Amino acid sequence: MTTATRENIMPAEWRDFWALTKPRVMSLVVFTALCGLLAAPGEIHPVIGFTAILCLAMGAGACGALNQWYEADVDAKMARTSKRPLPAGRMDREAALHFGIGLAAFSVGIMGVAVNWLSAGILAFSIFFYSVVYTIWLKPNTPQNIVIGGAAGAFPPVIGWTAVTSDVTLLPILLFAIIFLWTPPHFWSLALFMKTDYGAAGIPMLPNVSGQKVTRNQIFAYSFPMAVAAIAPFALGQAGWLYGISAIVLNLLFLGLAFNVWRNQATEASAMKPEKKLFAFSILYLFLLFGLFAFDRMLIL
Amino acid sequence: MTPTEPHVYSVEETRIIRARQAARSRVMGVVLVGLCILFFLITIVKVGVWG
Repeated sequence: MTTATRENIMPAEWRDFWALTKPRVMSLVVFTALCGLLAAPGEIHPVIGFTAILCLAMGAGACGALNQWYEADVDAKMARTSKRPLPAGRMDREAALHFGIGLAAFSVGIMGVAVNWLSAGILAFSIFFYSVVYTIWLKPNTPQNIVIGGAAGAFPPVIGWTAVTSDVTLLPILLFAIIFLWTPPHFWSLALFMKTDYGAAGIPMLPNVSGQKVTRNQIFAYSFPMAVAAIAPFALGQAGWLYGISAIVLNLLFLGLAFNVWRNQATEASAMKPEKKLFAFSILYLFLLFGLFAFDRMLIL
Repeated sequence: MTPTEPHVYSVEETRIIRARQAARSRVMGVVLVGLCILFFLITIVKVGVWG
């Protein structure tokens, strides 16, 4: 039985509700969605475009809140997440649940009414996929959690695209594929040097279940189809030389860093510089790739 | 089983609660004003005033 402390009977601060939305994750979602929106053929009124991105941000915030509501006990066991509002006792769980559901319903409703119902449907599915399929089902049960769960994070550019065009063609599917295939190397490189933390929380990340060697093999293996997906828009004539050359250079760098991870034999986090480098570069990679893609498409459209 | 006594807030706790409620109300106010403006603009765009 848990006892309410003096701290958790206080009303939560607005900053804690903001922290529930995982603002840093939200910024990546907003950025990739904006790139999808800018790269799409056709026109969208700036007010409607802004509304689409706002709804996506709220949807991502809802995912963060529902994720933290469900994982409050797990978060309390990991140093990285123990300071979040729920495990730190600054907010009660019911408030987080209501906030998450409210934000999800509001974002989908406004997206449908103001933008289009295809985008709203994909947004609703991605919130369900992240909150239920990934958080509740996959994450605690399989080391392949982030492979399949990565799909949830791959929807934003597709939604940005459909906000303009109201249909799904090959290019948004390629944008989806890039993020989907980028997610395993990105998260597994983090999981390698954060292994102890995930292990303490009982989350079956690949390094804990199959070992570091298998994880490094998988990181390297996923980097190849990711590079193919990233260069495909140029190879298929859907993007110009600016994007094409940038994509080739960025993917060569990514493959080089992934190769260093594959060669590394270290078992201690302090000796995992290649993994830390790959993790840091993977974030820059996605920002640059999508930013250049959107810029390139705006030049050729 | 002894009945639990209601928690009596100290002066300091009451001050913190009031401050948090006031801050949340201010943020909520800003959000609601923002949404009113957004809904107005969406309506104007949808009815075609801006083409």
